[in-house]
Amino acid sequence: MARQIFVYVNDEPVTVYEGMHVKHALISCDISLYEAAKNEEIIIEDKNGFEIGLDGALNEGERIYTRPNILA
Amino acid sequence: MKRILHIFTVALLFFVLSTSCAFSTEPSTIGITILHINDTHGHILQYLKKSISSEIPVGGAAQLAAMIHDERIRNPHGTLLLSGGDMFQGTPISNIFRGKPVIEIMNYLTFDAMVIGNHEFDWKQDALMTMIRSADFPVLSANIMDTKGHYIPAVQPYIILERKGLKIAIIGITTVETVTTTKPDNVTGLTFLDPEKILPPLLQDVRNRGADVVIVLSHSGLDADRKLAKNVDGIDVIVGGHTHTAVTDPVVVDTTIIVQAGCFGLYLGVLELTIHRETKRIVHWTRARELKTVFSGPDNPADIHVAGIINKYNNRIKDVFTRVVGETTVDLVQNRRGESNEGNLLCDAMRQETGASIAFFNSGGLKITIPRGKITMEAIYELLPYDNVLMTMDLTGRQIRELMEHGATLPHGGILQTSGISVTYDFKKPVGERVVNVDVGNNPLNPMNVYTVTTNDFLAAGGDGYTTFKEGENIRYGDSLRDVFVEYIKKLSPVGPKIEGRIVIRR
Repeated sequence: MARQIFVYVNDEPVTVYEGMHVKHALISCDISLYEAAKNEEIIIEDKNGFEIGLDGALNEGERIYTRPNILA
Repeated sequence: MKRILHIFTVALLFFVLSTSCAFSTEPSTIGITILHINDTHGHILQYLKKSISSEIPVGGAAQLAAMIHDERIRNPHGTLLLSGGDMFQGTPISNIFRGKPVIEIMNYLTFDAMVIGNHEFDWKQDALMTMIRSADFPVLSANIMDTKGHYIPAVQPYIILERKGLKIAIIGITTVETVTTTKPDNVTGLTFLDPEKILPPLLQDVRNRGADVVIVLSHSGLDADRKLAKNVDGIDVIVGGHTHTAVTDPVVVDTTIIVQAGCFGLYLGVLELTIHRETKRIVHWTRARELKTVFSGPDNPADIHVAGIINKYNNRIKDVFTRVVGETTVDLVQNRRGESNEGNLLCDAMRQETGASIAFFNSGGLKITIPRGKITMEAIYELLPYDNVLMTMDLTGRQIRELMEHGATLPHGGILQTSGISVTYDFKKPVGERVVNVDVGNNPLNPMNVYTVTTNDFLAAGGDGYTTFKEGENIRYGDSLRDVFVEYIKKLSPVGPKIEGRIVIRR
């Protein structure tokens, strides 16, 4: 059974289920962020500044950040 | 005379030593190149990624292959090619052929090893076994055990390869979350052990067998890899996957170098190691710009053989897309503002697959109306274009009512399509009081009762504002929604779903 976990999107806490992906954290936080990420208007990064994919796995307590895609 | 003999002996010794040094051609270090990819998820066709370029496509496997050939030419006897897992599930060209195109490409490229990722279980264990047996390269995982405590068939915990006289051990690690984040049936009888517990004896084992360098091929994610590097001594390199992280500059934790190459075939990781011949220590490594973008424009070299494999399956997929999966005696019509017979059919399929009492599906997720007649695979893909999976959970009657009240507030429609439950809305009533009657089966919804509800991962994440789905208990992941729907239609064809009064709206 998967449990609920907390992750942070732009430092805002959101709940998702264990096994969900970056896209689910964006949906959980604000659907417009997910739409923007799908359209590549924004880029998602982890706390180290490394770009992560929408289907990337999430860990409990993970912090992800969005920034505008200047090339879009 | 003695003095002359002594001088001669010293001179001879000096000559021997100096010539042996002068003629020694072996450098003091050895160059090893680790090429790596991960989380390809079946992306062998090129695609546009606007954050890289709005004109030049990226990610084609034929171009990736050409890059791999180039790197191997640079270090012909010292190169390894590794995969960090999750290679197959994720695109029509790979899904429909159950990963065969990817395996063919990997076999041709003579991968040295691949670790099992969590998504390798998406098509059940039989399909995974078929894939492993068709792989010409070792498939690794040291922390998946069967009920008898054995490694799963045809999977090795580690291998030891030799490059330029160095023995290099590669140990596979699969995320322990697989057991909770995969459909339970797909991992029946398997245990995923804590890597921190199983690695120390394995490291000792491979060192005893003469390993000079130890690589952990880990499908666990960057944070988990950092933790592993911190808590387990003796790992030289972790080649990772799972979080789809583009680790542009390798991360170093204590003495362990960690790399990961994003996802979807976008990058080839190229980690150059310089290893001291005597101490076997890594003295230099690629510290920045470790990932090379796989550009796939017309000017980028492509491997003809890989392009041929892709073309072969691309042509076959056209046949598969035109294949008829079933027939419908009525038009399957979408409806965002009320009951839809297409929604009824899909929700019935979801409920039958999971055994749940109730199924919910977002109306906006039904993308097309399918006309009466034959239903092709292409139509199913157009109807359900997203790679959603089923998620089943326990919700109370009160929570279910909350969900439906939310649906009645959405300004552009988006009411939940249902199975196992019927609801009457009165849109003249105030927000929060619009759900005037709900029955589960033949009984009124009891706010205190717990019901098993199945939905998709979009709604389970709170999509379309249905946040109550995030409060579920006993969460179980299921199969691909598309696959479930196809199997349901195949079984019941011809289908003829009707409007049955599952959703009644008073305006």
